[in-house]
Amino acid sequence: MTSASGFAWRKLGRVFNPADVPGRPWMREFAQGPATLLFESFVRVYFSCRPPADETGQYVSYSAFVDLDRGNLFRILRVADRPILGLGDLGTFDEFGTYPVSVARDGDNFVAYYGGWTRCESVPFNVAIGYARSRDGGQTFQRLGPGPVLGYSPDEPFVQSGPKIRRFGGRWYLWYIAGQRWKVVDRRAEPVYKIRVASSDDGLSWTRLGHDVVESRIEPDEAQASPDVFFSNGRYHMFFCYRYSAGYRGKERGYRIGYAVSGDLVTWARDDARAGIDISSEGWDSEMVSYPHVFALDGRTYLLYLGNQVGRFGFGLAELDGTLS
Amino acid sequence: MKWEKIGKVFDPTDHVLANNCTEFAQAPQALVFDEFIRVYFSSRERDPVGGKCRSHIAFVDLTKDLSSILRVSDRTVIELGKLGCFDEHGIFPMNVLRHGGRVHGYTCGWNRRVSVSVETAIGLAISSDDGITFQKIGDGPVLGPSLHEPFLVGDPFVRVHDGLFHMWYIFGTLWRRFLPGQPPDRVYKIGHAVSGDGISWEKEEGRRLVADSLNPHESQALPTVVKIGARWHMLFCFRESSDFRENRDRGYRIGYAWSDDAKHWTRNDAVVGIDVTPGSWDSDMLCYPHAFECDGKVYLLYNGNEFGRYGFGAAILL
Repeated sequence: MTSASGFAWRKLGRVFNPADVPGRPWMREFAQGPATLLFESFVRVYFSCRPPADETGQYVSYSAFVDLDRGNLFRILRVADRPILGLGDLGTFDEFGTYPVSVARDGDNFVAYYGGWTRCESVPFNVAIGYARSRDGGQTFQRLGPGPVLGYSPDEPFVQSGPKIRRFGGRWYLWYIAGQRWKVVDRRAEPVYKIRVASSDDGLSWTRLGHDVVESRIEPDEAQASPDVFFSNGRYHMFFCYRYSAGYRGKERGYRIGYAVSGDLVTWARDDARAGIDISSEGWDSEMVSYPHVFALDGRTYLLYLGNQVGRFGFGLAELDGTLS
Repeated sequence: MKWEKIGKVFDPTDHVLANNCTEFAQAPQALVFDEFIRVYFSSRERDPVGGKCRSHIAFVDLTKDLSSILRVSDRTVIELGKLGCFDEHGIFPMNVLRHGGRVHGYTCGWNRRVSVSVETAIGLAISSDDGITFQKIGDGPVLGPSLHEPFLVGDPFVRVHDGLFHMWYIFGTLWRRFLPGQPPDRVYKIGHAVSGDGISWEKEEGRRLVADSLNPHESQALPTVVKIGARWHMLFCFRESSDFRENRDRGYRIGYAWSDDAKHWTRNDAVVGIDVTPGSWDSDMLCYPHAFECDGKVYLLYNGNEFGRYGFGAAILL
């Protein structure tokens, strides 16, 4: 791969830490998978959070939002006072979590795609992608049905998660990840997942591309997540994160942010050297950087991302020097 | 309809089966050859630790009058799924049909959950050796949960009519703890999907083909469809959704519906023409029906007491 010069992201610091928010026991820790929606006077950032683990160490996950002052993204105007969506009913795909979530405007409505979590016996969990709509300006959402909108297929057998909904050229695109295999490491089942994409005219009936979008770089079992696509200067820019399949909970083999570019939404050229953001020498993002989300606001381009322990301590913000080109 | 019972045809405890299976020959499914009838069924292996069961597919070759056993499979017919896959903990049942010189096997794969006992989905495997072994087209299912069919998609029965694949199957509508102290039980209903290639399916998305006869919590399972003349006949089994395992008054019986357009079905259990026989192997329960044609006759394979623990039997349509 021949790299054009890398992007220059200037880290602005941590924007939100759920530990600072009082009175919400369901938002005790984690603020994962940040995704923005722009309003006239504020930027709403959806994310997923967790109450404390139960007595067996198991978590459930909820999705919520924080509204940031459009003129000063470090000024918090409001934090959701309840989850935007309840957990699924007994036996449904999203009984134990709704994480992460991606929200888009659809006319006057807001539509949300989210990873729904269930618990399994031989592996710790399974995930499928759910769909919900909001009629109160994106504060609460209701499922269209009790099942997933994108489920398993012959070559996407499990763990469909991390949806990112986008609209390009009048068509809906859903980037997501699909599990490829469960790899047993030290007697623990670890999922290997790759970036996939589907497209749709109505947002409900999806046609899958049917193969991995981005080649694996660090190892064949590299896990890829958070495929965040942003259109700028005539090209599609994808920031995503990737990690090793084993030993990835620490600094050396944990998540880093990668980059790929496409002119046609089909063929992507991976070029991580251009991503332009890495771990810090100390602080909340000193061990890993992950779950990137790019958005433009008032002439500037920003990146939200997670730091250590995949967002356990909130998310931060970086600003691009120039534009994505 | 009037079925004359032939009696029990196969008892798995009389044979040595692959995969450490000792009991159960459930959901018999026929593949007719020139000289014999191959019947696939699901048998059970018990986990050494924990005691839970895994269903494996096996087959028995029978003479065409179903009176004699010619061969019992002694090797694995289809592997269970890999770690974390939809069919990791069992395949039950597998519906078979010939298509394009090969045999399609539509499987109902089982995997274990935590808050409820299981989840299922429908897979496809292909045989190029006349049904001795089957290879999956992928690790995942061809038909799984969707917006209005949220779980427990299973029990496929597939036939091709006028170039279109039709699948009758079941989908779950409810998991509920009906009785205090008991684990949750499920409710499922019969649905329908079509496909041009047998791989990519279009569901009717939550439409329940067959009306309930017991109550809204009736569970309906394993539809089988046979066309006789211009009319489509569907047999299936149905039961209460709680206290159905040992209470004979709440257990499986065989139900019936008919259609002249394969879309709208009229239920009429009163004419199904088969019921339990006191004092016999099917005295308490009738389940997992499978209708098929052979040499101009219509047969019914089915399980009796204890969901087929001691095998399956047959009846012939008069």
